[in-house]
Amino acid sequence: MYDFMYHFPVLAIMALFLGAFLNSLVGRRNAKVRNTVVVLSMLAALVMMLSLVKPILLDGNSIVYWLSNWAPVEGWAIGISLEVDALSLFFALIVVVAVFVSGVYSFFYMDRDDSLVNYYTLFLMLSGSVLGLVLSGDLFNMFVMIEIMTFTAVALTAFRNTYEGALEGAFKYLVVGSLGSTSVLIGIALIYSQTHTLNLAQLAAVLPQADNPVTILAFAFLFVGFGSKAFLFPFHPLAADAHAVAPASISLMISGVLTKCGVYGIIRLGYCLYQNMDQPFVQYFVTGVGVFSMFVCVTMAFNQHNFKRLLAFHSISQVGYVITVVGLGSALGLSAGLFHAMNHTIFKGLLFLTAGAVQHAAGSLDLDELGGLSKKMPHTCALFLIGAASISGLPPFNGFASKWMIYEAAFQQAGETGNFFFVVVCVAALITSVLTLASFVKVAQSVFFGQLNPRFANTHEVSLGMRIPMWILAVLCILPGLFPDKVQQWLLTPATLAAVNAPGYIDAAMGTGYAAQHGVEATLSAGFGMSGAWQPVMWLLLLISVTLAVCIVALLGSDEKATVTSEISSSEDNDPKYDSFFSGEASVYSQVGGSDLFWGFKHNWRHYFSFMHNWHSGVVNDYTLYGAAAIAVALVLCVIFL
Amino acid sequence: MIFTNYLVCFFLVALGIYCMVSQKNLFKITVGMGLVDYGVNLLIVSVGFRSGGTAPIFNISELTRSSFFVDPIPQALTLTSIVIGACTTAMTLCLIIMLYKQYGTLQSDEIRRLRG
Repeated sequence: MYDFMYHFPVLAIMALFLGAFLNSLVGRRNAKVRNTVVVLSMLAALVMMLSLVKPILLDGNSIVYWLSNWAPVEGWAIGISLEVDALSLFFALIVVVAVFVSGVYSFFYMDRDDSLVNYYTLFLMLSGSVLGLVLSGDLFNMFVMIEIMTFTAVALTAFRNTYEGALEGAFKYLVVGSLGSTSVLIGIALIYSQTHTLNLAQLAAVLPQADNPVTILAFAFLFVGFGSKAFLFPFHPLAADAHAVAPASISLMISGVLTKCGVYGIIRLGYCLYQNMDQPFVQYFVTGVGVFSMFVCVTMAFNQHNFKRLLAFHSISQVGYVITVVGLGSALGLSAGLFHAMNHTIFKGLLFLTAGAVQHAAGSLDLDELGGLSKKMPHTCALFLIGAASISGLPPFNGFASKWMIYEAAFQQAGETGNFFFVVVCVAALITSVLTLASFVKVAQSVFFGQLNPRFANTHEVSLGMRIPMWILAVLCILPGLFPDKVQQWLLTPATLAAVNAPGYIDAAMGTGYAAQHGVEATLSAGFGMSGAWQPVMWLLLLISVTLAVCIVALLGSDEKATVTSEISSSEDNDPKYDSFFSGEASVYSQVGGSDLFWGFKHNWRHYFSFMHNWHSGVVNDYTLYGAAAIAVALVLCVIFL
Repeated sequence: MIFTNYLVCFFLVALGIYCMVSQKNLFKITVGMGLVDYGVNLLIVSVGFRSGGTAPIFNISELTRSSFFVDPIPQALTLTSIVIGACTTAMTLCLIIMLYKQYGTLQSDEIRRLRG
């Protein structure tokens, strides 16, 4: 019945790459031809992926496409395959929707730039490589796609090469990113030396059995490699530098699409290839990396004075959430992670596009300079508030629904294992969410509210063409928040079941019975026990406990507060500028300066903040050192504990 | 011996990473990236080596079960990896040229406008 759909995965990837090459062939003469080619190739990929929703996500089939029809011979995969199961398609849908929105936005956002043919060629190659990565059934193919992705992303980061810092950000991304790619390649070489195959399905069948030091080293290398593509701690300074200087449409791609490739790689690696997510060490390791990423990045965001750099840190913080729950190794955790990954693309994309709109209209991204733009740009302001509410996890937006599932998953894990570590994870997730909200209060205050800087008196709302992509993302922010059960039923549950169903993945490619022959069994078949996205009783209990906690802190804190004040008054000469919510210095125009909004908080944490400030030194050697240290630590830990 | 290959390739990778971490000159960082690449290429080729095997070039009629040849797949992978490494080097050098024009320096610790 779906015979013709069998070719859709390869055609969708080809459509994007073909669009890139056609674009550089014919796009130079005429802008209309160029835009038509871009729209057609993006639309083709979008439509083909959407048409696969019914057979794959709803009916539970999967497509295995052997290029040139080199099917497996005697249980050995000799050809290169594309394998699309529900997990791959879930990420592919995120990719094609984000690509489409970003492409349409670019038409209007990039109107003042030249050599746009190069921009769209690179953009389509980036899109094609990411789609190729999530649909690929071959490990080396994934590596090649990762490399294309990194090169095009670096080139696009440096696209506005006269923009302050653009080349610098791109250079750091290239050098440290190449360390991550090398790590993936070493992992692939080690795996090949042990198994003599690169097909994901066949690897999933033989790797769990081939449990020796070399495959464990390969796991560590691959994990760090994919983690670096998701910009996890300690690779996050790259993301901050690249996001801050890239065009906003590319920031959307980097944060919404490239990081998802890393997340996809880690899910495939842990749940499908090695099937070791049920081991406590792997759970601690992956969750620990996620918690570090989300906490360090959210605190780093407090210190930022550049709108997009701040958003970049939040982006990694949210990816940290995803990795945290993916690492829990439970079905509920995985589906929460997938939900948050999807929502992260939507709300982070929306926020980057509003930042781009502010940049386009006002010509500045400096939080200390901007202010009062809500009167000049009411639509952009409303869109920003929707995005900010979503990322901070306020109901009824999508961020709330997925964060709620994240808390539930961490809570469930803590309850089932009785392990204090997962209690800490749950609390860290809650605190990070609060800090995210605080940080976005600061951005809203310093960009859209407060006093208007006279310099921006002539700012106008951006064009309709830029607002429509943003409204699409805003609607996508609200819908999953209102109907989380539908999202769960149609998208998350099939994708989660596909991710944990390694035998299904193997048998689809290698023939029925291949998994049983190698003794592979599904590890996490059940475990959706607590997966109610909205359980009013639980919500009420949480509300009561949080209120109680606040009351207790307020009551207990009264004595302590007096001592702190007296300490400051003795040292700082009773200066009220260290009070919370108080502007620190008299600024040029007297709005509550955004960077001073949490002056008291920042003052109390000043040692931590100054340490982190020095740690993100901006020198490429240091970032390389952090990356190399991450590889070393991962290797040592995996060899000792696995 | 093939064991020497493994030692040398991890030595090259470590040397390359050390070069990237310790050298402040952008060109030397590029050289370090190149060394890492060569080390990995050597690793992949060594993985496919079989002592006494012939080159993996056969007609389909000559290929029998008793043919003994080195594994061709790692060689194909190495070719791909070499091409990717050349692209990385070219792109890094290109960025260095433009960085030098903008910043007037090749020292990595002076190119740090984005930090904190």
